[in-house]
Amino acid sequence: MKTDLSPRMKVGLYGLMCVLLIPFVFPTWWMITSSVKPISDIFSFPPELWPRRFDFSTYAQVFELQPFARQYWNSAYIAAIVTVGTMVISSMAGYAFARIKFPFSNAIFMVVLLGLLIPSEVTIVPLFQMFLGWGMINTHWPLILVPIFGAPSVFATFVMRQFFIALPGELEEAARVDGLGRFKIFWLIALPLARPALGAVAIFTFLHSWNLYLEPIVFLSSTQMFTLPQALTQFTDAYGGAMWNIQLAAATMTAIPVLLVFIVAQKQFVEGLAHTGLKG
Amino acid sequence: MANLSLKSVRKAYGSAPVLHGVDIDIADGEFVVLVGPSGCGKSTLLRMIAGLETVTDGTIEIGGRIVNDLEPKDRDIAMVFQNYALYPHMTVATNMGFSLEHRGASKAEIAERVKWAADILGLTHLLERYPRQLSGGQRQRVAMGRAIVRNPQVFLFDEPLSNLDAKLRVVMRGEIKGLHQRLGVTTVYVTHDQVEAMTMADRIVVMNAGNVEQVGAPLDLYDRPANLFVAGFIGSPSMNIIGGTITPEGFIAAGVTLPLPADIAATGQASYGIRPEHLTVSDRGLPATITLVEPMGAETQVTMTLGEHSITGVFRERLKAQPGETLRIMPDLSAIHLFDASGNRIN
Repeated sequence: MKTDLSPRMKVGLYGLMCVLLIPFVFPTWWMITSSVKPISDIFSFPPELWPRRFDFSTYAQVFELQPFARQYWNSAYIAAIVTVGTMVISSMAGYAFARIKFPFSNAIFMVVLLGLLIPSEVTIVPLFQMFLGWGMINTHWPLILVPIFGAPSVFATFVMRQFFIALPGELEEAARVDGLGRFKIFWLIALPLARPALGAVAIFTFLHSWNLYLEPIVFLSSTQMFTLPQALTQFTDAYGGAMWNIQLAAATMTAIPVLLVFIVAQKQFVEGLAHTGLKG
Repeated sequence: MANLSLKSVRKAYGSAPVLHGVDIDIADGEFVVLVGPSGCGKSTLLRMIAGLETVTDGTIEIGGRIVNDLEPKDRDIAMVFQNYALYPHMTVATNMGFSLEHRGASKAEIAERVKWAADILGLTHLLERYPRQLSGGQRQRVAMGRAIVRNPQVFLFDEPLSNLDAKLRVVMRGEIKGLHQRLGVTTVYVTHDQVEAMTMADRIVVMNAGNVEQVGAPLDLYDRPANLFVAGFIGSPSMNIIGGTITPEGFIAAGVTLPLPADIAATGQASYGIRPEHLTVSDRGLPATITLVEPMGAETQVTMTLGEHSITGVFRERLKAQPGETLRIMPDLSAIHLFDASGNRIN
């Protein structure tokens, strides 16, 4: 981007950006550096921004104290299924609400949107009762089904609908003349063009599932079934005190996929939001 | 190729009628242009032929087969859209071969047909590009390529040149006409630009407010408009229309009496039409005060006040007249159009 700023203004602007960056970068920096410090160094005063002593054994202990690899796999596969499932459901629902004329479509969409207004804390007990009745407690099904058919999917449907509304009608008409039926128009024309919106939905959904905390602590009870956010709270000593360096080592490993997703897909994420009209 | 027949075709959105009963027969291989002002129903009619809009009443036949209830894909038509409607995520070649692919054509056949269409339209070097990498004219050609590639019975064009600049529009006009002459496919072309209609059509259908005003060859419409609407719509600059009364002494209008041919028997309230190029400068002419002179190079367009009426004249000579001066003009009596009080032609 070309700007007409003078060198002094540029220096000032970059200085301000660096200062504003601190609240965002410092916690990550503190997490990573503290994960390789002995626990006593974490609380030393003044705080050490760079570790005096490096102790990488914390990373090995993460795997010794808990079935961390299994928990990592649990989080990964649940997030993957939820992401794919939400992309499928929300793209089809969003397309239907945007492009198919059916009675009361707007009213139905409003009712669907109302789902966003209900906090998960309100529905967690009825959901628990329901999944208990289905014999799904201490399984991963609730962590998969609730997001795919719940509030995250409603938000994703909204994002997809906003994108599909803006799709030129002539493209669909041309496809009809070319011999495509409704599903093929969706699959071959609309969906490939919705990649930016789908990217945004995928990132949102993956992060939401990856960070899910309330549902796992309600529905899961065995450490073998735990997901990462729940597992992070389990690194405690015999007296219940947090083993901070080990916990932060686990947290660092937990954050890696999130950082990777953002680094790889941040452009698509912003583009997706811009296309859906959610960002000016 | 096929003939196309519209019989008492009506369209209404709810209780709001849009087309009031259209009857048109289009012969096999004919190039017919639907022309009219915005909102006259011409695009709706085209979309009904394509199957993109339902028919409220009446029948549409393509090749003798009633297609009212057929899906667009089953009508054997191809359509070129106003905004081209090229699939942005597909290359030119894929765009052009897309319909064949979904009709079960083999890869070899698709490649052959795409190459044939690309050769005709000069697109061979662009086949691997995406639509975003093409200019407006190239996109238009790809849209035409997509239409011709599967050899449909009828081509439908919905204002295909309206997004192009004036110069390119003239070029593409020629290309579409040339394509029609080469392929001979029955074509229905919608435009609001009467110059496009005049230069391209075998026959023009002039529409207004959901009705067909007149159907005919371009020069027939130009020379003998059936009513005031067609007279005012066809021709650029448009025909001068002056309201007044036909009397044995001439056509009496506000502030001026215009000459009439000797064989006019009608009398009473009427409208007097004369095309700008049918006015000539003559010492024996009627005095008109010049308000605007527009030298066009090949001709001079002059806006004048005749009596109390503003009229336009187009003269082959390079007039040196200035606004405020008087110009004596004489209408060509063999080219006068007279319309009765209800707007229908009477001479």
